[in-house]
Amino acid sequence: MSAKLTDRSQQDFGLSPEVACQVRDLNVTYRVDGRELSALREVSLDIRQGQITAVIGESGSGKSTLALALMNAVSSPGRIASGRVTYRGLGEVTGMRGEELRRIRGKAISMVFQASQNSMNPLTRIGAQLLDLARSHDLPNPRAVLREAGDLASRMSLDADRVLTSYQHQLSGGMRQRVGIIFGLVLKPEILLMDEPTTALDVLSQSSVLEIVRSIQRERQLTTVLITHDMGVVAELADRVVVLYAGRVVEEASTAELLRHPRHPYTRSLIQAIPRLTGDPGDAKALEGQPPSLASVPNQGCVFRERCPYRMDVCETILPSFRFDGDGEHRFACHYEEARHD
Amino acid sequence: MKGLLPRLIKRILGGIVMILVVASFTFFLIHLIPGNPVEAKLMQLETAGVTPLRAQIEVQAMYGFLPHQPLDIQYIHYIWQILHLNLGQSITYAGVSVTHLLLEAMPWTVITVTSGIIVSFVVGILTGVIIAVYRDRGISNALTLFSTFLHGIPQLILALLLAFLFTTIWPIFPFGSPYDAVLTPGFTLPFIGSLIWHAVLPVAAYAISSYGGWALTMKSSVISVLGDDFILASELRGLKPRIRIGYIARNAILPLFTTLTLSIGFMFGGSVFIEEIFDYRGLGYMLITAVGNLDYPLMAGSFLIITVAVIVANIIADFVYTAIDPRIRT
Amino acid sequence: MSTASAAFPGAASPPHHRPSLLTISWRAITRKPSRVIGITIILFFTLMAIFGPTLYPKQLPINPAELYAPPSWAHPLGTDFEGTSVLAEIITGSRYVLSAAALAAVFTIGFGTLAGVVSGYFLGSTDQIIMRVTDFILTIPGFPLLIVLSTVWSFGSPIAMGLVLGLTGWGGLARAVRSQTLSLRERGFIEAARGLGLSNAHIITREILPNISPYIAMNLLLSVTGGIYAEVGLFFLGVIPFQASNWGVMLNLAFGNGALYTPQALLYMLSPMACILLVTFGIVLTLDAFDEILNPRLREG
Repeated sequence: MSAKLTDRSQQDFGLSPEVACQVRDLNVTYRVDGRELSALREVSLDIRQGQITAVIGESGSGKSTLALALMNAVSSPGRIASGRVTYRGLGEVTGMRGEELRRIRGKAISMVFQASQNSMNPLTRIGAQLLDLARSHDLPNPRAVLREAGDLASRMSLDADRVLTSYQHQLSGGMRQRVGIIFGLVLKPEILLMDEPTTALDVLSQSSVLEIVRSIQRERQLTTVLITHDMGVVAELADRVVVLYAGRVVEEASTAELLRHPRHPYTRSLIQAIPRLTGDPGDAKALEGQPPSLASVPNQGCVFRERCPYRMDVCETILPSFRFDGDGEHRFACHYEEARHD
Repeated sequence: MKGLLPRLIKRILGGIVMILVVASFTFFLIHLIPGNPVEAKLMQLETAGVTPLRAQIEVQAMYGFLPHQPLDIQYIHYIWQILHLNLGQSITYAGVSVTHLLLEAMPWTVITVTSGIIVSFVVGILTGVIIAVYRDRGISNALTLFSTFLHGIPQLILALLLAFLFTTIWPIFPFGSPYDAVLTPGFTLPFIGSLIWHAVLPVAAYAISSYGGWALTMKSSVISVLGDDFILASELRGLKPRIRIGYIARNAILPLFTTLTLSIGFMFGGSVFIEEIFDYRGLGYMLITAVGNLDYPLMAGSFLIITVAVIVANIIADFVYTAIDPRIRT
Repeated sequence: MSTASAAFPGAASPPHHRPSLLTISWRAITRKPSRVIGITIILFFTLMAIFGPTLYPKQLPINPAELYAPPSWAHPLGTDFEGTSVLAEIITGSRYVLSAAALAAVFTIGFGTLAGVVSGYFLGSTDQIIMRVTDFILTIPGFPLLIVLSTVWSFGSPIAMGLVLGLTGWGGLARAVRSQTLSLRERGFIEAARGLGLSNAHIITREILPNISPYIAMNLLLSVTGGIYAEVGLFFLGVIPFQASNWGVMLNLAFGNGALYTPQALLYMLSPMACILLVTFGIVLTLDAFDEILNPRLREG
């Protein structure tokens, strides 16, 4: 078994050198009242080695589902209907089950949860739970994990000894969130998935925690996926951005490029919604209307058209395909933009 | 571990207050019994030719107070005697102290009831976990139905049916006494074996009567814990199934301790049937005998001791609960 | 863990927003045949208790020539140790047993709801006192308490029996009703009603009670089974004097006459037990429907 794993870790599974994880034509559906509803539609993207890739979207865009799908953890009534998620050195997780999958989760690929403050067992001390984690992944020296966790805690300005001997209920929401991040980093994963990692924090501790996450990411060259709804966080942290709307990727580019030249009208509205430190906070405009629910996503045409200011006839019937821009690193799917630039 | 001891002390004090309230209740109850049994006993002794002084001493020994004293003095005497673990003298078993009778009766009840609780708790919890985990399969529905059905059968009927089925229709178990009459009680293998063999049906009656409740409560508790964020987190962190089951089990068992309190009272209460039917000379049997023979000191004592047993069992349950759940300790 | 609000999600939705309780009930009952069976059993025994005893003379005839007779057309369930028809005893005995159990349920529900609503509505020291008493009632084992009370209380009439069973049995319900009331409070129900200037009495009777009524109705049925067990148990133990025969007395006499070792007495002993189980069975099947009425999430499924 271990020989097989070492073999795998050297394999690239057909990924090009700069790609750590490749998602191809991923479709995730939920079964509600006997109907199959799509949460993710034909999602394809490359997560680059050593970079922070942000996935941004409103609630209901499918971004949390994407995070679960990246670990092949979509649970009933949902399922991965088709598509592949392949990791360098691990293989195709969409084809894995049971013990094989368990060994990867939390070790090679780890996740910081949206509800991180509730991600610990309330009846056991944090330290004991870290040992459980270490033993689950058969680490030769579980105690070393405690030391590593202590270091991480100190870096996040937590009292390491106190945190490790505490129960969850003895810590504040912000402290728990940081402990959640420690759980995500402590086994030195190759890929870190973070689903809204800072929602429970106030603005100040949010930026200090993000600061730490970024410095650890730089140090370890940690491939990171950041799931968020906040373009401000993206601007601060991410190298690349994938914009998700109603289960579809609508635009992808490097952060600098995307902020400077957003092409999709939805991306523009997200950027306009960033509150600025200088100037009138009233200038920050949120997009009007509601994102579609799973059941109301149109099956043909552009998924964004109901809220789009540039809606055209063609948007009703034909799904816009991706156009590549600049050096081919920027893609978007919008009929209006396409027409404007041709 | 701070907070554990103060809580325990608080519970014990609460228990003592409760015992005193129950003692007061039995005191006034004896005064409410039609025909004033204490006065009647005194008269009966005197007409039987006992000297008034002698009669008074005997009645005082039985009840702990004398009828012609003022009520407050009677009450103080009564409670004072109880605090000295003196519960008076039995009338049926003439001259024998109630405390002595009940100390002999207690093990029969406490051991069978405790075994019954433990067996039903363990089996019920396992069933509940199976029902919850295999929620969508046939076995889950079958077990739910089975548990619901057993949950509905009262102890009385359960005990009668067990006795009838397994001692008369299909006689595999002995019936009618807690051990073989030919054996001399003692620490001998045949005697202990006989005790256990005779205890199977009564313990089964206790266990089955509360098993369904545990299974159904555990089922909903597990289902609710399975939906908790930290359980999903433990899965995505790749924790070993063994460790995850431990997380789920400990969290799911906690809410059951509330039910345990009720169950303990229910089980000790049921001893009146089960001991009557299986002829166990336990506390419930003593209570019935006392009421049947108008032996009021024994009745009051039995009732008090049954209540004390329930209170003590509850304090133990609370202590275990506190030991499992850190949120209460701090 | 907010157990109270999580356990009964349907209870707090305002009554105005759903179809009438009658419609929901009818739909819920007819959805499954088991529920129809349950209701039928309950109706059957109710009719038996009301009209059954009028079919027989007040004093059932004894027949020394037919002791423990096997089932026949005249005696479908055989006869007892005195040659009296077991079926006749079951039917004439049903009235006391079922009416006392029904009254016990009414009293239990009455006391329990009152204590629970008052406790959960007023909170503060009222709540503390009521809950202290409730804990006390819940801790004392109910059956021994009833046995002890039998020395001072006459259980002769169904009302006296029902009242005592109600007085000793309301604890669990009080606690549950209190937590229901608290969950209504959590949802801002009570504050909103107070804000409208409604009186306490109005809020309790018009806002709170209707919202917890399905839950109370469910417990009314459950309490009937509890009442049957308790009274039958008391009669079985023989601690209360009995004038006429009823199911508990039948069990007592059967047990006392060695029915456990007498295979011919099988039907005499099994008949009352079967009736008790059948009533329980009917109630459990019907409760399943109440569960659905109570819990809107199940209603869709």
